[in-house]
Amino acid sequence: MVAGLTKGERQLALLISIAVAFIGLAMAGAGQGGAFGVHGFIVMAFGIGTIFVVISGYFLPEPGDERLAQYYDDPIKFGIVVSMVWAVFGMFIGDWVAWLLAYPEMTFDAGWASFGRLRPVHTTAVIFGFVGNALIATSFQVVQRTSRARLPDQLSPWFVLIGYNLFCVIAVSGYFMGLTQSKEYAEPEWYADLWLVVVWVVYFLLYLRTLMRRREPHIYVANWYYLAFILVVAILHIVNNLAVPISFGHAKSYSAFSGVQDAMTQWWYGHNAVAFFLTAGFLAMLYYYLPKRAGRPIYSYRMSIVGFWGITFFYMWVGSHHLHYTALPLWVQNLGMTFSLMLLVPSWIAAANALLTLNGAWHKVRTDATLRFMMVAAVF
Amino acid sequence: MFNTHYRLERHSIRFVLAVMVVASIGGLVEIAPLFTIDETVEAAPDMRVYTPLELAGRNIYIREGCYACHSQMIRTLRDDVERYGPYSLAVESKYDHPMLWGSKRTGPDLARLGGKYSDEWHVAHLIAPRDLVPESVMPNYGWLMRSELDTQDLGLHLRAMRKVGVPYSDAMIENATADAIGQASPDKDAAEGVAERYGEATTIRSFDGDPRRVTEMDALVAYLQILGRLTDAAHVQSGAGRMEAGE
Amino acid sequence: MSFDHGMLVGFAKSYGLFYLLGLSVAVLIYTYWPSNRARFDRAAKSVLNDEDGPWQ
Repeated sequence: MVAGLTKGERQLALLISIAVAFIGLAMAGAGQGGAFGVHGFIVMAFGIGTIFVVISGYFLPEPGDERLAQYYDDPIKFGIVVSMVWAVFGMFIGDWVAWLLAYPEMTFDAGWASFGRLRPVHTTAVIFGFVGNALIATSFQVVQRTSRARLPDQLSPWFVLIGYNLFCVIAVSGYFMGLTQSKEYAEPEWYADLWLVVVWVVYFLLYLRTLMRRREPHIYVANWYYLAFILVVAILHIVNNLAVPISFGHAKSYSAFSGVQDAMTQWWYGHNAVAFFLTAGFLAMLYYYLPKRAGRPIYSYRMSIVGFWGITFFYMWVGSHHLHYTALPLWVQNLGMTFSLMLLVPSWIAAANALLTLNGAWHKVRTDATLRFMMVAAVF
Repeated sequence: MFNTHYRLERHSIRFVLAVMVVASIGGLVEIAPLFTIDETVEAAPDMRVYTPLELAGRNIYIREGCYACHSQMIRTLRDDVERYGPYSLAVESKYDHPMLWGSKRTGPDLARLGGKYSDEWHVAHLIAPRDLVPESVMPNYGWLMRSELDTQDLGLHLRAMRKVGVPYSDAMIENATADAIGQASPDKDAAEGVAERYGEATTIRSFDGDPRRVTEMDALVAYLQILGRLTDAAHVQSGAGRMEAGE
Repeated sequence: MSFDHGMLVGFAKSYGLFYLLGLSVAVLIYTYWPSNRARFDRAAKSVLNDEDGPWQ
């Protein structure tokens, strides 16, 4: 981990870790033993942990220039492993929560174990922990290979992955303590949201810098989807999480919006978090790994372009279909429903494109388990 | 002109901008008009704000994730209206930061729960839901009865709510802690201030049945009893609708 | 200039439609413009080339 960093990067990593530890200390002090203080201690422990990791590798020999002849894949391996850990944890909680519906008394007479607190643990661990880490890790692999360019530095991918997981840990541990904004898939409180913005900006810049270093004249379509994922999630996250904390020493905040505006903003976010995490991100994977594995170029590159703009444009309109027959004005409901139907077109384009790519490679599907999984995924 | 698009994807930054513009339109068109609304949110001059105790109860409702199973939005569907009462109006959640319309209806809708059952029923139901509703899958919340309500910071809560647009007065913010305790302690002097600041109709009583302590149970039941009763607008509108229909 | 609700809704309902049509047409033209074919074909095949590592 640390062995791959240059001297300067190790120093910077140390500085960042120390800063994080101090932020944790300040939070712990301001929180005065409340849940906010507990989070302060978690942040501080995280910072101290990374300080130790950096120091333990600080005097290792520096990587030479020969590293530049290879893609930088260490953080990717880390990201995939962490993603799997989140998957096991998140799905275990999901199973547990399902049992709670059959045996509701299984809460040990305590708040942390009730259905209402555990449900967001499950959704966050799976969507953000499992899927988020997988998306970030694969995006690093795909962008390097389709751009024929190495990541511009060694520190920022680590910062993005580790920082992102700090966000996930804060989010999930908060739910056990009852810290939530109650907005589905945007439950973490204001300070976790701010931290995610920092991480996301670094991620975006890292991605963009890699793209700018590319030698290929054309940006491959998988990168379009990854970029849309990064950008749109940033827009959604910032707008939906606008809130006023009651003080800088408390976890609680009040949403800037209320009532019908809040509902529309929330489902604009909620639906598109699904769209650009679970759809755009995975289409990005599909457009790289499927042709690669099948050994055939994508059936129609042009169809993938039409599909891209279709999804980017249509998806953002459909959130209001979560609010049918509510106090939301009828015209917004109608608009959302119409676009939901139109969205069938780009979705089917993507699925058809994937399946048609396999034409001529069906003999591989018969024997290749990986390809078989991809085929089934495309069908769904 | 086609070279424009070619350049656009050659140059990552322009591509980024294009994605942002294309993606933002949907949200802008649907959300922006909701803020310029005269028609979207009805007028309700009788609407009052949550008292500090009710707000604390609302925060417990959020903390425990009640919204994961209970909606607070009666839809304009016949089934909903016949079971729960007049359908919800936008104005009724005007002071809800954030809204708790919910998305999953595992339990019943709670938008018009206030006044439907007695305090005793709520307390007993929260302690052991299956004693009263055998088929319920709701968790037990008996421990709320043992947790003292934290009233110290309520002034900060009201102040934050005012920043996002809820009309709390200076006196309300200043007396938030006293008002929270007063609303659940009818015998104390502090109770008078609550009626003065939030209106004579405000319910002042010990919600959990133990006037000596103010527990989280007090706050939660106070909140459940105000649901749907901040304004009469929905009942007025449904009454007017019936008259127009000639009933 | 003040925005009222009716105006914004009207804008959304009228201009929104033309924006939608215009965008679709622009994307389709770009996608099927003959001279773009070569570039797309090259891009589609580019992922299949075995990676020799990044340029230096």
